[in-house]
Order: sequence, then C-alpha cells, then structure tokens
Amino acid sequence: MPRFEIKGALSMQIELAGFPYLSAILVTCVAGLLVILLLPEERKAEIKWVSAGFSGTTLLLCLYLFFAYDKSKGGLQFVEKILWVPSLGIQYFNAVDGFSLPNLLLTGIVFFTGVLTMWQLEERVKEFFALYFLLVLGVFGLFVSMDLFFIFVWYDVSLFPMYLLIAVWGTTRKEYAAMKLTLYLLAGSALILPGMIYLYAKSGLHTFDITALMQPGTFTAAQQKFAFPLFYLGFGILAGVWPFHTWSPVGHAAAPHSVSMVHAGVLMKIGAFGVLRVAIFLCPEGWQYWSGVMAFLAAFGIIYGALAGLRQTDLKYVIGYSSVSHMGIVGLGLSTVSVEGLNGAVFQMFAHGIMTALLFSAVGYIYDRTHTKEIGELGGLSRVMPVASFYFILAALAGMGIPGLACFWGELVVFIAAFKVYPVRTVVALLALVVSALFMLRVVQRTFYGPLPEKHAQLNDVSFSLGIPRMILAGVLLLFGLFPALLFDVIETASIPFMNGLPR
Amino acid sequence: MKWMLFGPETGIFLAAFFFLILSMWRKPNPARDHMYALVLSALGVAVSLACVGAEGFLFSGTYRLDLFSQVFKVALASGLFLIVCLCASLEEIKKRYRQEFYFFLFVCTLAMMLLVSAQHLLTILLALELSSYSLYLLVTLRRNEDMGLEAGIKYFLTGIFASSIMIFGMALLYGATQAVYLQDLAQVMPELMNSPAAVIGMLLIFGGFFFKLAVYPFHIWVADTYQGAPDQVTAYIATASKVAVIAIVLRVISAVDQNSAYLVHVLAVLSITSMTLGNLAAITQKDMKRLLGYSTIAHSGYVLIGILSVGTAGYASAVFYALALLVMKFTVFLVVVVVSPRGRNLEIEELAGLHRRSPLLALALMVSVFSLAGIPPTVGFAGKFFVFMAAMDKGLFVLVLIAMVNVVVSLYYYLLVIKAAYLNVPRETLPPVHLSHPMRCLTGSLIATMVVVGFYPTPLIQLSEAMARSLM
Repeated sequence: MPRFEIKGALSMQIELAGFPYLSAILVTCVAGLLVILLLPEERKAEIKWVSAGFSGTTLLLCLYLFFAYDKSKGGLQFVEKILWVPSLGIQYFNAVDGFSLPNLLLTGIVFFTGVLTMWQLEERVKEFFALYFLLVLGVFGLFVSMDLFFIFVWYDVSLFPMYLLIAVWGTTRKEYAAMKLTLYLLAGSALILPGMIYLYAKSGLHTFDITALMQPGTFTAAQQKFAFPLFYLGFGILAGVWPFHTWSPVGHAAAPHSVSMVHAGVLMKIGAFGVLRVAIFLCPEGWQYWSGVMAFLAAFGIIYGALAGLRQTDLKYVIGYSSVSHMGIVGLGLSTVSVEGLNGAVFQMFAHGIMTALLFSAVGYIYDRTHTKEIGELGGLSRVMPVASFYFILAALAGMGIPGLACFWGELVVFIAAFKVYPVRTVVALLALVVSALFMLRVVQRTFYGPLPEKHAQLNDVSFSLGIPRMILAGVLLLFGLFPALLFDVIETASIPFMNGLPR
Repeated sequence: MKWMLFGPETGIFLAAFFFLILSMWRKPNPARDHMYALVLSALGVAVSLACVGAEGFLFSGTYRLDLFSQVFKVALASGLFLIVCLCASLEEIKKRYRQEFYFFLFVCTLAMMLLVSAQHLLTILLALELSSYSLYLLVTLRRNEDMGLEAGIKYFLTGIFASSIMIFGMALLYGATQAVYLQDLAQVMPELMNSPAAVIGMLLIFGGFFFKLAVYPFHIWVADTYQGAPDQVTAYIATASKVAVIAIVLRVISAVDQNSAYLVHVLAVLSITSMTLGNLAAITQKDMKRLLGYSTIAHSGYVLIGILSVGTAGYASAVFYALALLVMKFTVFLVVVVVSPRGRNLEIEELAGLHRRSPLLALALMVSVFSLAGIPPTVGFAGKFFVFMAAMDKGLFVLVLIAMVNVVVSLYYYLLVIKAAYLNVPRETLPPVHLSHPMRCLTGSLIATMVVVGFYPTPLIQLSEAMARSLM
C-alpha cells in the first residue's frame, strides 16, 4: 500500500540575527492578550495592571530597538526569517529600518499611554483591554513585517477590533461610526489584496518578500503604474486621504479616548506607512508617475481639513479634521519623490501621532469630568483645571507648528521639499495651515478661557498619577522638538539609500 | 485483503444498519441512542483515519481510492461526528423518529463517501441520489410539520429537477464520447472540448452538482430549506454535504477539463452571480439560518473561483476552502443549535446579550463569523487568500477584485451578527446558556483550530496540495 508523505510540516527554515526582539514585541502582545482573557471579569484592577505591565514591556523593547539600531550601518536590522508556507513563498519575515523604527517607537508610546489613559474605565474592562491588545498587535506586526502576506494579515488584525471598540465603548453615534469606519477601511483592503497577489503573480519570483520584489526590474513600468493606485488608495483610505477621509472624523469622535489615541495616533500612520512600504517600495515608477495626483489630493486634504475643522462644535470632531489636515502633510511629503520629502513625512507621522494622542488624551480627561465635548458648553476651564488645560494647549500649539515642538520640524521639512516640486499647491496648503492655526486657537480660547459655566466650577484638576500618560506624551513632543536630529538621523539611514537606488 | 480498502464505507454502513435494526427492535431511548451514535461516528472517524493511505480501484474500476478521496472521507466522518455532538437534545425531532434520524444521517454520510470515490458516471449518480433522498427525509423530520414539510418539498422538487438535468447531461456526454468512466473521459475530452454536445452535457452534469452546492441558478431551495429543516440537519447540509459535492466537482473537472475557455467563462459568470446574489440577499435577513443559507450561496461562489482556476494550485485551494468551510460553518451552527429557543428558529436579534450569557459561545460566534467573512488570522482568510492566488495565477484579476468587493459587502451582515451578540441589550434578561464540559472543550478547540490554522496554514496547505496532485 503506497503512502503519501507530507514533508516539511515540521522542518522549518529559520534565520535569525541574534535575539528576536521584534517577535518578542509581538509575543508580549499575544501573552498580554491571553493573560487578560484568562483573568476573571470582576478583577478589574488586576486586568489594568497586567495591561500596563505588558504594554510597558513593549515600550521598553521599542526603546531598546530605537537606540540599539546601528545608524552607521543602516539598512534592515534585527532580521528574523522563517519560511512559513514554502510552496507559496510566504515568509515570516520581520526587520526594522529607518522608516519603521520611528513608527515602532510611536506605537510603543501611544500603546502604553493609552492603557494609562483608560485607567478609570469600569465597563467591560476585560473585553476592552483584550481587543485593545489585539488591535495593537496588528499595528506592531505591520510595522515590523517585510512580507506582503503578513502585512495584509496584520493590517486586517489591526482593523476589525475597531468595530467593537467603537461600537461598545464609544460615544457620539457610535454604531453608525463603527460600521462606517470598518467598511471603509476594509474596502481599502479589497484593493490591497488583489494588488498584492497581482504583483506576486507578475513577478514570477514566487515570493512575497518585499526586499526581493523591490529589486529594480522586477516589474515593468506599466505594471507599476497599474498597481500603485491600488495600494495608494487602499492604504490611503486609512491615512485619511481626501476624498476618502469621511470615516475619520466620525470614527475619532465616536471612539473611546484611548482608541481615538491609537486610532489617530497610530492607525492612520499604518495607512501612510503602507503607502510607503508597499506602494512606494514596490512600484517606484508608479510613484513617480502618480506623484502629481498624490500632491493634489494631499494639498486638497490639508485645505479641506482646515476649513471643515473651522466649522465644528464638537472638540473631537475638531481634532478629527485637524488629523485629516495633518495627514495631508504626510501625503504631501511622500508625493515629492525626494529625500527631504520622505524624511519630513516620516517625521510628521511620528510627531502627529504623539500630538493627536496628547490631544485625545487631554480631551478624554475633560470629557470624563464635564460629560460634554461641545465647545459651546465649555469655557474657562483653565481656571479649574490648569494642568489638564496645559496639556491640551501644548498639543494644540504643536499642531499649529510652533517651533520647539516636534510637529514644527515635520511640517517645515515637508513644505521646503514640496515647495521645490509643487510651488502652487504648497503655497495654497500653507495658507490652509494659517486657517488651521486659527481654528485651533479658536478652540483653545473658547474652551479654556472666557467665562466658566457654573456647573463646571467644582471640577478637580488632573491628579499626578492620572497625569502620567500626558506627561510622557508632552515630554516626547518637547524632546523631539528640541532635538529633531535624534529622529532625522534614523530616518535618513533609510531614505537616502532608498532614493539613491531609484531608477531615474 | 482488497476489502480493507473499503473500510470507512463498511464502517458507516454497519453503523447505519445498526440503527435500522435498533429502530425495529428497541423502544427509543434518546440518551442511549445518542451515545450509540457518538461512539459509532467516532469509530467511523478512526476507521477513516486508518484508511488514509489506501490507494487503488474497486468494483471493476468504477470506484477509486486515493489520498484525495480518503482525506475527504475523514472530513465527512468528522463532519458526521461533529453533527452528532450537536444532537444531545434533539427537541426538534419527535422521539419516535430519533433512531431513523440517525439511520438517515449515517446513510447520507455513506452515500457521500461513495460520492467522493466515484469514478463512473453511474456511481456518481447513484451516490448523489442516495445522499439526496436521505436528506429529503431528514429535512421533513421537524416537529413543526408545516415548516419541515414545506422545506422538504421545496428541496425535493428542485432536487429531482436538478437530477433529471444531470441525467440528461450524462446522456448527452455519453452520446458524444461513448465513455462513462472518468479516466476514459479524460482521454477523449481534449478533442471534444469544442463540440457542443460534450460541453453542454458537461455543464448539465455540473448543474446537478451545483444544485447541491447551492450555486446560482440552482440556489432557489437554499433559504427555505435551511429555515425549515431541523437545526442539526441544516448544519449537516451546510457542512458535510457541501464538502462532498466540492470533492466530486473537483474530481470530475480534473478529469475532463483541459483548460476549456467555455467552461471557465461559464463558471466565472456563475461564481460572480452566486457571490453577489448570496451576499446581497443575506443583508436583509432576520432569521439566522436564512442568513447562513444565503452566505452559503456566496461561499459556493468563492469555491468556484478555486475550481475554475484549473490546475493543482486551484484544486488545492478549493480543497483547503472546503475543509475550512466545514470547521467555520459548523462552529456557527453550534452556536445556533445551542442558543435556539425551543421549537423556533433563531432570529439574529435573539443573539442579543450573548456575550453575557456565554462569553465562550460569543467568542466562538465572533471568530467563526470573521472566518466566514475572511478576516485574518482565521482559516477562512487563508482559504480565500489561496483561492485568490490561484485565480490570479490564471490572470483573472477582475474576478478577484469582484470577489474582494463581495467580501466587503458580506462583512456588513456579518458585523450585524457580531453586533447583535456583543452590543445589543436583550429586551428581557435571559439566563446564562448552559454548556456541558465536553461541549466547552469542543467549542474551545474549534476556536483554536480556526485561529491557529489561519495563522499557520502550512500543514493544511501541504495536505491540500498532496490531495490535488493525487487527483491529477
């Protein structure tokens, strides 16, 4: 009786460069998730401490990676490769470079501070943190993965917990917002997946490995021009590219605070990062071909976000529209096809992530006390809660691009790079920045100054322990505002070789 | 010892015979009968596993044993075992019919096992009819006779219509080729791929299969039959019966199709219509089983993509998808069976508050529904991914794009199910759902299977590829 042999099921090919730090981050998330699932529902305090512990560990790992990365060598480091599905050429391939490292650090910071921001949550605590861990697992995975299959897997893993996180713990029109957001973002994946498989089939290399697929000459110019818009739109929906941004303010306003933080702070960066890592890496000629359209959409997004933000009465909607505007700056940077543009875009991703996280964290504190996000019902808050107001105002100033805070550098570098290539669009977008400064100032003035409504006269200011997450975020904002080279040095290790390798 | 090759079939046949005798000799005793069924179906799984290596031909070449058929027999036996696990309280079925219920269930499984090995047009027809007739009877066994009868008659009438179409197709094909063995057809078909009689005959035969698979335009029975049949029977139709039909479609198409453009075009059109129609119709459903019925139609559309991507990769992806469907559909039905109020169908609204009543079941529902929707890291996503890869290798970009758009559409109603379970507050507080310990273990292992295989599908892919190769 002949027998069929199924070979290779147990023999895996593994390639490691030292301790697998990147997998350690992912494993920490999974372990945290499992521990939370195993804890009984009633032990809310333990669940929070466990969450803080595991998220703190990932932050430490991210910090270690950020400083252990060898800037003089550049390129991909901390490589981990496991042949996952040999017959289809799928690899479990993790590595970091100068583009992913800032985002990894950003995710670590926002993850940890997000857990602390939700410290006072009392409703369905266990499920919340379990889903939150799942969401962040996807984000971490996407930033470290170098294999298209896994990028797609992590992309979706980071999206679907959003539905429940918003629909269960959210506020304004939460069910509508959750459904809209999920369908919009997964509609993006309906473009990404065919695009990925298309490139896989056309390359003939039988691999999903980005480093192999990005070699010049793998794809013809026509194939790149065809595939680029699929990725650009697919990931761009998540990055809030106009006119596919409408899910974003609605989703931001409805989500619970820490989810808004992760969402605006990190999730939108996944979109921009996906455009960079997949669309631009694999289809550089498509990138050059479509860059004019990208710049147009980005500039339009900047203007549109600023003008729409001017009309909002809900604090979270204001931040939501400012995110659309700020992510437009990232898009503008990416569209310049230059080293400075890429540097500025990645820097802006990081800075905007920290800034919005701080904004949402501050709004979260205010909302928990006053139970309103309507600007008209607030006012004079700086008198009763000066510290909480300070955090919001600091973040708002960062959003306006005040020198000394991190966002300034990102915006400056992007606009300098963009002005060389698209002078008209850049000037118009710069005018929009003035508008955005105006609306931020208007919000600050109406919320924190002026007459204080009587019902808010007895509010407590933020306590030291509750202020920790905001302190961390504000500190990071200042640190990278004063020493931008810390980040630019890392980003340049990736952007300069990448641009030099481009066919001209 | 050639009869040893026939092990799984013999085992299941003896079990069915046992229930026939039991129904004549002994008074029904639900607990005892259920225990018998559990033990016998578990034995069936064991015997099928032991016979996985079997290879050869039986009954003058009309019956073929290879890795493909034997693994599918394991899947069918496991499907039967899982369904029997759900039969602990068969409240939907009158006590005096319980033994006959098991009898028909085992006979139906036997017929499907015969089907996946069939190598001769008549064997195919006989096996298909045997399984269909058992199912017609099973559907009508519902205590609420109006519902059961309506479902059964709809199923029966469309079923015999499809069978007659299939017989007509076989006649045409025989007229064109003078061949009834699949291996003979494989020899003569390449020259005849452009002869109308052969192609039309082929398509009509597929019509018979597509009726069982619930592919447009043979899907009319699905929603009503799913709704009217007892929950366990619906689960069986949605899982084991689909797996068997996918297997026979693969066997026939791998024998006859040599990349015929006609066939690919027809199948692509049917696939697109099935997906779109199934998903759009599912959006408006209130009854959980009807919703699953329409989602079945959509899933048949996805499977067809793998089937029409002729070649090892396409067949392997369809096999993978079939096995994935077995697990994820069954898990949803497990929740449906346990949560269903007595004597009625489960409405989607009645899932409200499930996350409080039973967190485990709610988790099972969420994972299986996301798996059906094709969200990673679940086995359903892996299945879709490999199907799409196979199609893209054939250059079917537009088909993949349409399928992905359909995935997004389907997500809407799947999310509504999850929303009902996790978000909606029930009108009155319902008691917690009681799950026995074995059921808890079963649910837990199903969840783990879906996630683990979804994240690390390699062994299952290698198995599917080996099966597809043994088919060629």
